[in-house]
Amino acid sequence: MKKSKKLIVLAILSALCLLIVPGCKKGDDKSGTGGEGKTIEITHWYWADNSDYSAKMQEIAKTFNETNGKNIKVKAEEYPWDGGGYSETLFTAAMGGGGPDTAAWKLTSTPLFVANKLLAELDGFINNWADKDDIEENLWDVMKQAGGSDKIYVMPWNTQVLYVYYRPSMFKAAGVSVPKTYEEFLEACKKLTRDTDGDGKIDVYGFGMRGAKGGQEPWGSFIWARGGNFTDFTTPEAIQGMQDFIDLFKKGYTPPTAPTDGFNEIIANFKSGKTAMTIHHIGSSSGMVETFGDDVDAFVFPAGKGQWTSMGDTENVIFESCKNKEAAFEWVSYLATGKGQEEWCITTGNVPVSKRVQAMDFFQNNKFMKVSIEGAPYAGIFPILDTTTEWINTVWPNTVAAALTGQKTAAQAMEELQKGLYGDKK
Amino acid sequence: MIPKPKEVRSLHERKAGIWPYLLVAPALLIVVAVVFIPVLNAILMSFQSYDLRRPSDIAFIGFNNYIAVFKDTLFWQSVLRTVIWVVFGVGFQFVFGFCLALLLNKNFKGRGLVRSVSLIPWVTPGVLIGLMWRWIYDGSYGVLNDLLMKMHIIEDPIPFLARQGTSFPAVIVTIIWQGIPFFAIMLLAGLQGVPHELYEAADIDGANVFSKFFHITVPCLRNTIYVTTLLRIIWVANSVDVIYNMTGGGPAYATQTLSVYVFNKANALNLGYSSTMSIMLTLILLMVAIPYLKTMFRNQEA
Amino acid sequence: MERRQSVISRILFLFLPLILLLLFILFPFYWTFVTSIKPEMELYGKTVTYWPRNVTFDAYKSLFVDYNFVKPMINSFIVAATTTVVTLTVATLASYAFSRYRFKGRKALMVMFLTNNMFPTVLLLIPLYAIMRKLGILYTPIALVLAYTTFTIPFSVWLLNGYLNDLPMSLEEAALVDGANRPQAFIRIVLPILIPCLVATGVYIFMNAWNEYTFAVMFTNEKSRTIPVSLRNLIGQLGVQWDLLTAGGIITIIPVCVMFFFAQKRLVEGLTAGAVKG
Repeated sequence: MKKSKKLIVLAILSALCLLIVPGCKKGDDKSGTGGEGKTIEITHWYWADNSDYSAKMQEIAKTFNETNGKNIKVKAEEYPWDGGGYSETLFTAAMGGGGPDTAAWKLTSTPLFVANKLLAELDGFINNWADKDDIEENLWDVMKQAGGSDKIYVMPWNTQVLYVYYRPSMFKAAGVSVPKTYEEFLEACKKLTRDTDGDGKIDVYGFGMRGAKGGQEPWGSFIWARGGNFTDFTTPEAIQGMQDFIDLFKKGYTPPTAPTDGFNEIIANFKSGKTAMTIHHIGSSSGMVETFGDDVDAFVFPAGKGQWTSMGDTENVIFESCKNKEAAFEWVSYLATGKGQEEWCITTGNVPVSKRVQAMDFFQNNKFMKVSIEGAPYAGIFPILDTTTEWINTVWPNTVAAALTGQKTAAQAMEELQKGLYGDKK
Repeated sequence: MIPKPKEVRSLHERKAGIWPYLLVAPALLIVVAVVFIPVLNAILMSFQSYDLRRPSDIAFIGFNNYIAVFKDTLFWQSVLRTVIWVVFGVGFQFVFGFCLALLLNKNFKGRGLVRSVSLIPWVTPGVLIGLMWRWIYDGSYGVLNDLLMKMHIIEDPIPFLARQGTSFPAVIVTIIWQGIPFFAIMLLAGLQGVPHELYEAADIDGANVFSKFFHITVPCLRNTIYVTTLLRIIWVANSVDVIYNMTGGGPAYATQTLSVYVFNKANALNLGYSSTMSIMLTLILLMVAIPYLKTMFRNQEA
Repeated sequence: MERRQSVISRILFLFLPLILLLLFILFPFYWTFVTSIKPEMELYGKTVTYWPRNVTFDAYKSLFVDYNFVKPMINSFIVAATTTVVTLTVATLASYAFSRYRFKGRKALMVMFLTNNMFPTVLLLIPLYAIMRKLGILYTPIALVLAYTTFTIPFSVWLLNGYLNDLPMSLEEAALVDGANRPQAFIRIVLPILIPCLVATGVYIFMNAWNEYTFAVMFTNEKSRTIPVSLRNLIGQLGVQWDLLTAGGIITIIPVCVMFFFAQKRLVEGLTAGAVKG
């Protein structure tokens, strides 16, 4: 009888093993090499900001597959943006030995991936690439900076320059003209805050402030306008910029929800007429025009002592684990300067990185594109360090919310922001 | 197989042999096979400066992470917040869930329908819960503000999630909402095991509703109540997605519970530090669980 | 007189609290639905409307036509159903052992099961991904089932153990005296009484697997995507597509509720059938 029990144990154990083992035999079926067949498969990960973008990306991949003439087959797989969680998903997969061959990218994740040796170096490809000069020299510099060395790991794709959206009709009603200096801008925020129907309650706010994640981008313009910069947040100029930001909220020139307002809220507030100005890039312009027709326009964030606006970015990368990097480069360069660039930028309204595409009529005749290009000389990015992602995701929103709600002074908040980005070392 | 007993012996006194191990084996194998290595790995990481943003600096640093965690004011604030989160969250889930279970156990028309619709909060995916409640609480277009203003309870809209004082209660209400069906269903199932005879006997004695509840229902469900609340405490203490989707832990860390803090740190890829905090969280939960387990095991022995 | 009182007490103790609780539970759902049929302009309008002035079902159409939302639903269903069956089977066996046997290492094993769920899952992701990849099951439903069962089994073992401990042992003991063996006693006596509890636990398991996101986004690809991932694909950098998101939510909620409508009868049937005999 004891024997039979042992047999049962054995039977159960082996049954469980059988469940697991057959999987092992299949082994690693990661795509990347074409194998004995001639087609080369490239897996590409991307996120889509809305359903049109999603459809467009699939279309671009399809066209590329049909026209590349080298038997490269790109399989574009969509992953949720998830408030930036996209990069973590990508990282987890790559660290676990899986992940795609190429992927859509944000510069801020570059140090992390480079430090873990996950990205393929692109210099060799780029130096031999006919279209290299179609992309501005300074963009290549930005790509190098992000990697923290002279090497390029990131292929430019498109950029968005932040500017100020405003409602001409509200400006007219409040007797405000488009601000030319930073002081005028602050003044405009005040004047545009109005009780329009005389019920004693404010119903239009001057400025739609973004206090939640992502708000660091418009916020940066305030810091620079006072003469501050991002290498030291604790200078009196930078603190003054922070103080201006806090004052706008405290004095009630922004909606009271500002500390938690993210992209959704600032755009909704602007579209519903609750705010007269807000800061975002061209990506939201088509929606604005749909709502307001001609009653929406834009200007570059004006200069004070200094001038800066944020450059949003999207790039593409090739992973070190990709087995056919030539084919992968073919694909990412198609997105950077080829037909893929044209199609994507027309659909999304993003600023092309290819000079050839920039010169196309579509981009030259768009008033928001004009403002974007006008702002480009002042456009920059936050210092890209390995701490940047955490700083953007948690340090900035929480510290600024504490400053806005009066738990911290401007100077204390800036001290904390400095520490969050650069650590304790000065 | 089992020799017939000559006298009545309780199940527990019977010789167990290898059977219980055999019965537990499949469950144990699946669990151990999958999590053993990852958990071990996480424990090891807590003794290292395991920050994937600086892979070249990874080294064993002994208890330095633990010391750093102990000195971290944000950590202690999150612990306190987790306690409030669990006490109010699970507490109200339990009360409302129990009420609902008792109501759903009664006979009335359309009971089946009511039972299935009360499951809705539980069926709703976490993303949607976070976003919908955020939308309900919205300070500009939110329906809650509109309702309160129509009822003349408030005059101006309150930006619930943007304020220090209101954001945490607001997310707690959401987790309560989400957890009611769990208790309702679990306790409803447990109620089916309460013998009717007990109620009938109590009716003859003229007992009222409350004494029946406290003297029959609760004692009969004792183990179920123990287990469901314990499991729910663990689950709620570990839950991230509701808070993460509603506030991300803000404003100014006002809604950052320990699990959200761990999540944020892990997303920042400081895995050593977040492992340390996870181990602390596990220890705290164990501290809560041990008295529970002691009473439970004692009850079983009795 | 007495009758009237019972009507009043029925209203006071049954319908009134029930309606209040249901209002709380259902209002967010109602609001989700209203949002899904509101045009965007009305969503951000000056006044909040409780029923849209212009009803539109475009979002639903688009989900089925452009998004093929049925596929992730089927995937989710396969994963959730398999997880439920596997978990229930092994958890019932284990919990029976924990409840009805006294053996060495019992408490230790139970505590081990419990601690398994105390550890936050984010930290296990990278090694788990590597394990799934080495097993060659990455991007197949098996990966998700395996990951989910790891976390549903311990909970279910505990839940079922709790229920079993609340069931009197005298019935089984009597059966054993009558000459049945343990498996027979379990199947004939315990299982019928346990059905409501199995249904409840099953619902718990199903829900967990149905709504899980963190593992789902890592262990699936385009082909094996589940609902929570598809829903989150609707939130981009340019904000939330409210209409699609809420419509997607409604579409995922309703079938589960309908399924539960049929299961819930079992939730109360068990004992009435089994216990009367005893």
